[in-house]
Amino acid sequence: MFASCKEMFDYSPYVIDFDEKDRNINNKNIAKIESLNNTDKTVRIAFTADTHRNSDELDEFVHSVNKMNETKAVDFVIHLGDFADFGLPKQYLWANSYLSKLNMPYVVVLGNHDLVGNGGDSYHEMFGDFNTSFIYDSIKFISINTNSREFEYDGTVPNINWLDKQLKPSSDFTKAVVLFHVPPMDVDFDSQLEEDFVSTLSKYNNVILSVHGHLHHYETYVPYSNNITFLNTYAIENDKYNVVELVNDTFKIMTYDL
Amino acid sequence: MIYKKVLNIAIILLLSFSLHGNTLQSDSTVYRKFIPDYVKLQFAGGIGFLSVGAGYTFFKDKLDVSLFYGYIPKYFTVDDLHSISLQFTGKLLKYKLSDNIEVLPLNFGVFTHHTFGSEFWVRLGDKYPKGYYWWYPAINVGLFIGAEIKTKLFANKTPASGTAFYIRIGTRGLYLASKANNSTIPVKDIVELGFGIAVYR
Repeated sequence: MFASCKEMFDYSPYVIDFDEKDRNINNKNIAKIESLNNTDKTVRIAFTADTHRNSDELDEFVHSVNKMNETKAVDFVIHLGDFADFGLPKQYLWANSYLSKLNMPYVVVLGNHDLVGNGGDSYHEMFGDFNTSFIYDSIKFISINTNSREFEYDGTVPNINWLDKQLKPSSDFTKAVVLFHVPPMDVDFDSQLEEDFVSTLSKYNNVILSVHGHLHHYETYVPYSNNITFLNTYAIENDKYNVVELVNDTFKIMTYDL
Repeated sequence: MIYKKVLNIAIILLLSFSLHGNTLQSDSTVYRKFIPDYVKLQFAGGIGFLSVGAGYTFFKDKLDVSLFYGYIPKYFTVDDLHSISLQFTGKLLKYKLSDNIEVLPLNFGVFTHHTFGSEFWVRLGDKYPKGYYWWYPAINVGLFIGAEIKTKLFANKTPASGTAFYIRIGTRGLYLASKANNSTIPVKDIVELGFGIAVYR
């Protein structure tokens, strides 16, 4: 009782004071992913995006993913941005209280809503850097901030040099999956950087799939002449989510109900 | 350091208020009208770690209009926060228990809360189409209920007429919008509890 009273003495909706369990989550989970032993040679990932204020549905998503039987169980989960609708620290905490119940590691990509107010500070505290990457089973997963409008299209977002460095071939990965919130053809993406971004994706001929959110509907499409497939994944509000299976150079996209 | 700063502001406010009380007996009643009817010092309640306020009462003490300045030192958050809050409190019930004690068990209030800092905008930047985000991080509105006990503490040796202790429990629009249709969000998470002291002139 005393503890819950103490919590209710709220100083401001913008106080960011996360416990250790709610901090640096992407790095902690990436360490878990990189230590996983993938025995079946198939990489299975569940994708969701755009939670906004659909907290109950995010909770349902977690239950649904946890319920998958063992042979179909996903290796990890990616949330593709707009985790916190108003960018409030409390919304970060709520959304993370559900995702932290997942039986597998998860990584959260930065969305434009996540940056409103002091949301960027909350993201930094809870998840870490706005751009990050990890390697699982020789596939490099690259999460890049593409929310250009939130940075006033100042030419720094997305950071194409960083993307280039990440994609540059090295001995520890053979192919790459690129993850971001806003797709490059969208008005919220810096149109001055669209061409560079798209050409960088195909520069080393190793990107097999791009996955994004922001648009709140599902589509698998090939928007550019570089022939890279884009998966525009479901928002939580669509009551569906995608699971992608990667085997060698091929991928299979499936849809599940919440 | 920061606590001292906040404490200093509170003391200066209280002091100026009591000095005014002393010097104004010979002054015009017009000037006297502008002296706040009370000053308040509040803990939490969503508008600061500590906030200091002053205001006026209207309609025979049935309505308070207060302006608070609230501060949260960096110790409690990533970056320190400054804000002001305009609060309207209706005092719906009042019971006089004795000459010295009055109980106000049902105060009802609405407030606006303005947090300062460039990331807490009032108006969307030029780069956004109209209505891109429908709320303003800088300005939140909310409501609260509360209770108050008025005593004659400090009434004898200072110009103050009395001292009140109050508690309040409230929430705000952004929290209500987050909670709507979400049974999994605990009610305690959207509650802003606070208490304070008010010195009346």
